[in-house]
Amino acid sequence: MARTITFQQAISEALSQEMARDPSVIVMGEDNVGGMGADGEKDAWGGVLGVTKGLYPKYGERVMDTPISESAFIGAAIGAATAGMRPVAELMFIDFMGVCFDQIFNQAAKFRYMFGGKAETPVVIRTMVGAGFRAAAQHSQMLYSIFTHIPGLKVVIPATPYDAKGLMIQSIRDNDPVIFCEHKMLYTVQGEVPEEIYTIPFGEANVVRDGKHVTLVTLGRMVHVALEAASNLAKNNIQCEVIDLRTTSPMDEDTVLESVGKTGRLVVVDEANPRCNIATDVSAIVAEKAFGALKAPIAMVTAPHTPVPFSPDLEDLYIPNAAKIEAAVMKVSGYKG
Amino acid sequence: MASLSSIENPAVGIVANPASGRDVRRLVAKASVFHTTEKCNMVQRALTAMASCGVRSAVMTRDLGGIAAGVVRAMEAHRSQTPNPWPRVLFLDLPIEDSAQDSVRAVEHMLELGVAVVVVLGGDGTHRVIASRCGSVPLVALSTGTNNAFPEIREATIAGLAAGLVAVGAVPRELATVRNKLLRVRMNDEMRDLALVDVCASNDAWTGARALWRAEDLTELFVTTAKADAIGLSAIAGLTAPVERETPRGVRLRLCPAGQGVMTVRAPIAPGLIARVGIAEVSPIYPGKECALCSDRGVLALDGEREIEFGPDDRLSVSLELDGPVTVDIASVMKLAAQRGLFAEAAAAPAPALARSWSREGEGAIAAKPANTSN
Amino acid sequence: MAATLSREDLLRAYRMMKTIREFEERVHTEFATGEIPGFVHLYAGEEASATGICLHLNDNDKIASTHRGHGHCIAKGVDVYGMMAEIYGRATGTCRGKGGSMHIADLDMGMMGANGIVGGGPPLICGAGLAAKFKKNKGVAIAFVGDGGSNQGTTLESLNLATVWNLPCIFVMENNGYAESTASKWSVACKDIVERAHGFGMPGVMVDGHDFFAVYEAAGEAITRARQGGGPTLIECKLNRYFGHFEGDAQTYRGPDEVKKLRETKDCIKSFARRVTSAGMLSQAEMDAIDKTVLANIDDAVAKAKAAPKPSAKDLLTDVYTSY
Repeated sequence: MARTITFQQAISEALSQEMARDPSVIVMGEDNVGGMGADGEKDAWGGVLGVTKGLYPKYGERVMDTPISESAFIGAAIGAATAGMRPVAELMFIDFMGVCFDQIFNQAAKFRYMFGGKAETPVVIRTMVGAGFRAAAQHSQMLYSIFTHIPGLKVVIPATPYDAKGLMIQSIRDNDPVIFCEHKMLYTVQGEVPEEIYTIPFGEANVVRDGKHVTLVTLGRMVHVALEAASNLAKNNIQCEVIDLRTTSPMDEDTVLESVGKTGRLVVVDEANPRCNIATDVSAIVAEKAFGALKAPIAMVTAPHTPVPFSPDLEDLYIPNAAKIEAAVMKVSGYKG
Repeated sequence: MASLSSIENPAVGIVANPASGRDVRRLVAKASVFHTTEKCNMVQRALTAMASCGVRSAVMTRDLGGIAAGVVRAMEAHRSQTPNPWPRVLFLDLPIEDSAQDSVRAVEHMLELGVAVVVVLGGDGTHRVIASRCGSVPLVALSTGTNNAFPEIREATIAGLAAGLVAVGAVPRELATVRNKLLRVRMNDEMRDLALVDVCASNDAWTGARALWRAEDLTELFVTTAKADAIGLSAIAGLTAPVERETPRGVRLRLCPAGQGVMTVRAPIAPGLIARVGIAEVSPIYPGKECALCSDRGVLALDGEREIEFGPDDRLSVSLELDGPVTVDIASVMKLAAQRGLFAEAAAAPAPALARSWSREGEGAIAAKPANTSN
Repeated sequence: MAATLSREDLLRAYRMMKTIREFEERVHTEFATGEIPGFVHLYAGEEASATGICLHLNDNDKIASTHRGHGHCIAKGVDVYGMMAEIYGRATGTCRGKGGSMHIADLDMGMMGANGIVGGGPPLICGAGLAAKFKKNKGVAIAFVGDGGSNQGTTLESLNLATVWNLPCIFVMENNGYAESTASKWSVACKDIVERAHGFGMPGVMVDGHDFFAVYEAAGEAITRARQGGGPTLIECKLNRYFGHFEGDAQTYRGPDEVKKLRETKDCIKSFARRVTSAGMLSQAEMDAIDKTVLANIDDAVAKAKAAPKPSAKDLLTDVYTSY
């Protein structure tokens, strides 16, 4: 039975339903409860943007606040995972990865391999990504490509409330460390989400719009912007096929290659900075494996090679918009060789 | 290196042990944590106090814990002040082994240099090792360890004043100091070690983590002084058969598990730890008499630290002696100083005589003392 | 009554320390032949610390170690044959040759790994302690940290977290005086690492790391306290390493004869043997017999390791994920 809820509520529901089902699921993070040790309301925040609100009253000690010590509590979540729990730890902003990255990329990611296949580290690290909030340079980045680069990690970035719930449940059930990226601008987006529990497998992209002229590969919030561009382009009879990657590790290459085989033209849209991002990754894979199908050079639409600016006008210039995507589509469409 | 030529008398030695307060009683009881910073502050307070009494030099131990370093930093700050609030401070140039030997060697050198008083900041352990080396030089024994039996918990400024007064000879030695009792331990006919407050035998096989906290393992206790308000093993005697510091005898108790023997006492044997201890027998011990241990195997603790493992082939005996270290009786010194107006200075204009009728002592007058008796 | 050490306990302790010592001495000589790939960091001299602590532990309890992890592995019960094969990079190694000396782990025995990252262990141990709390199995989690690691942010954060969450964790600071080539006298701001415990709201105890009995007793109290829900403890073991930071380290930063003097005056195994024989608990003959079997074992482990197959090409790609 589906009903309309927000992206944020979908994640919260996934957490709550899995916690009800499996007592080894625990939640921790800064202000995930909120109000610890203070005299006022318990569960005062439920996470800085409310995603974990309501969990503490239901699950008590399984929902934990932490001091501001990312190395310690992200590491603790990882250690608890190797010791048989299924922790969901919040790295509040992906921008904070610098203070705990070792525990993620040198420890969690490598245990299974280094220990000859005997370790299992079923930890989920939930983290906020993305610009548009006017939160400026240190709270607005899209750093998922750095995690994608690391063997041993899985990286998930849902674009819709439906995907958010299914992918979160899958993440919790997955036995490998998962980095679950929540775009902060999507929290209030509404969508149809079934009440019952369901999962979405990793490594399966979603073709959200069919089209025969140009393939638009994207992820996260850019899926919505790409759809807006596609809608505008359709008025000029350019039909875009929009593919939402959903997970960058593992990544669904087949769907992308199949689409490019059909259209021969590719535009990759990634809100991250241009060097070594998902756009360059997808472009290289397609250039290597579908070179013969291409009728035009691949175009990439990304943020510029700058930190995220504060001033709203500048931030709006920073973030790829529909017009920029349309221009790129026009360019690859019009390419004559 | 501090040498005879650079010491200006009156001189005071300062031994500050950075290592005290690290043992397992922090874990098994609620023993205090004594920060190095506070030890350094204590030394500085004492130096200021000593200077005000006319002490000219202070000879200090160097250490790796930051105490000496903190003093050096303060000395830099004092350079520009006149008069300098401190005596001339010299540091002993001895190798630092980070062991009890550091304190022992330091005291030996200070005696060679002719210091009049040695101020010791340390626990029972520090004082115990110094006791065998300090001869008749009076010690100001300041506690910085695990809530001690021998040294005093005393504000360092006052301790510095008392040390200074004794060093400059402002108060007579016989009134200012006390000679303490001690216990000598002989093992297989050789002098093995000594204790200032208590020697305790336990059933433990090993010295282990040193402290004693399991009451059921204790077999025998010898004490020099057992006050009812003391903390530590001596409290077992202090609460049942107390003996004062001045009394020329000690106490020996044969111990047993609680509930057995002639009585059971609830005693504060460690900070925050009140244990039930059974007593099988109590007897006085007199100076010079060697008492053989009743158990034939176990470990002997000296002033609360397990030190000597022994077995059936070992012969151990404990004797009370009266020739222990000399300590400054800070309370008496300060009282004497007040009575003699040692801290009063002549007023610029004659001040009205302060009535003494409200004072309990009723001896001498506070006001109108000539200036030359101030130090 | 004190947890007294029975003859069996003492024999076990002796065997454990001797195994560690001979294992490390042998790796030292084998490494010099050039056959062992990569880097090894040897624990010889520090045996009393690993043994005094781990003798108290069961399979529910977890430990995490440093790059100098062979001693902790052996003390926690990791198989010596598997360890030697792993050091040689063979497929029969504890980690199938994919971890090497710095990453030996055996999760079934509660050994969460030696760690190539200084300070990598403490947060993981907070996690293991947290899991033990949720599982209510009275397990404890112990992080071994060096004097170098005691300055790392992860260690300090973990001390704080362990107190805040009241975790059954013990942080054992093995202060051997050197973090690589830098003296801890210089790099640690307080004189003794144990002083930091106070700042993080937990009790701290310092023991002579060469004295098995001192380590054993202090560890016993800390572990009991943790099992009873009393929270974390910091134990500083002051000890010495005989070998360099890594094999190949000329150790010119140490005084001349420093190591020679240490081997003569600070040998935790020799002093253990002296004490247990003079207390009449064990005989020299028993210990000599143990020496023989230990050496034979290690000999055999080396021979088997050298003869063991290397991992195959397909092993390169396996076990990155449980499923992908």
